[in-house]
Amino acid sequence: MKEKKHRGIFGRLQRTPKEKWKKEEFTELEYEPTSVKDLLTEMKDISELIIDLAYSAVLFDNEDIAEEVKYLEVRMDKLNYDIRMMAMMATRTKEDAEQLAGILQVAEAAETISNTAGDIVKLLSKEKTGPILPKILKQADEQLFRIKVSSSSKACNQKTGDLKVESETGMRIIAIRRGECWIYNPQSDTTIQADDWLITRGTDEGYKDLSKFFHGEMEVLE
Amino acid sequence: MNKKSVEDIVLEIKDKSELMIDLAYSSLLYDNETIAKEVYDLEDVIDVLYQNLQKQTLESVENKKLKINDALTVLRLADAGEQIADAAQEIADVELRDVELHPILKMSIRESDVVFTRVKVEPGSILAGKTFGELKLGSETGMYVRAMRHGNHWRYGPDKNTRIDAEDVLFARGPEDGEKHLIDLSTGKSQNI
Repeated sequence: MKEKKHRGIFGRLQRTPKEKWKKEEFTELEYEPTSVKDLLTEMKDISELIIDLAYSAVLFDNEDIAEEVKYLEVRMDKLNYDIRMMAMMATRTKEDAEQLAGILQVAEAAETISNTAGDIVKLLSKEKTGPILPKILKQADEQLFRIKVSSSSKACNQKTGDLKVESETGMRIIAIRRGECWIYNPQSDTTIQADDWLITRGTDEGYKDLSKFFHGEMEVLE
Repeated sequence: MNKKSVEDIVLEIKDKSELMIDLAYSSLLYDNETIAKEVYDLEDVIDVLYQNLQKQTLESVENKKLKINDALTVLRLADAGEQIADAAQEIADVELRDVELHPILKMSIRESDVVFTRVKVEPGSILAGKTFGELKLGSETGMYVRAMRHGNHWRYGPDKNTRIDAEDVLFARGPEDGEKHLIDLSTGKSQNI
């Protein structure tokens, strides 16, 4: 499998600064040269991840996941600002401007999606909503599930790329929680460890297999 | 006629809005106006669903079938779906404009963690003549088919009763290693799902 270079915040263990992201919202943004392509790719990835995380937060009634959503929302703001700056610097002709306007429109849409995710997690913090949300979300075709990795599972200390979780079960691991830290969009070289909490997305059937494997009740995924 | 429940409608809005996002990104990746136009059509469907939901939710409150807080939650969740649908439409709008797409758009979508792929089902493929329910492509390969073309006829968000025929073109979303598996299956190179 080809080695993928790590982009932005994905595939690495990171500790979300507690409450610090709130200040970040107001700090002056400095010009950092990153390519428009890398910025847009990260924005697209966040826009997909953040919606799943937001629904997970309400589904599992979990404030910690909601905090991550808020962090990603702030990061998305910054990326959107950066991409505008980069696009302007890259514009030389009318044709450039026309084409780059399309890129900025997609970036703006990604940002709208992340703001919506922020709205979804607000459902959690207001009056405790009761079981109606989980009841609705549990009927979706593709659902979100949480799995804790047992120390007896063969998955421990294995790379997700080698386990081929997604192509074997159709379950996509969207994030891993390890103690206080998070890994978003685990990449093929991300290692699974005992006691990791995985947030996954997929079908009921896929979940049954995958949870057996991660709970150590099944030796191999197939 | 059986009336859809409030829960059913809000779920339909959620599922459709996510389908729209996938379709919108695919339309850019394959420079495909038909898919982009479908995003527009789905946006209209969601608008109607949302209006029906608002009315029905209020009726349920009046009939004391739904508590006020639950009704608010349902409406806010649906509102989120509606906003996501709008964002998808914005993305599809880029495809429908009379401007050549910037190559970066395709590259970014191609390089992201979730890939989109397009495959044609060859006559010798194991997929031909089977339904999605029989194949369980999603849980077996990780690839979820979001749209398919059957001759001139399109089908969006196929369900378990949808049948795949030879010559159909599938648009699917999934991981990189699932993509190769799906290509091998549809070309007939591999018979093992």
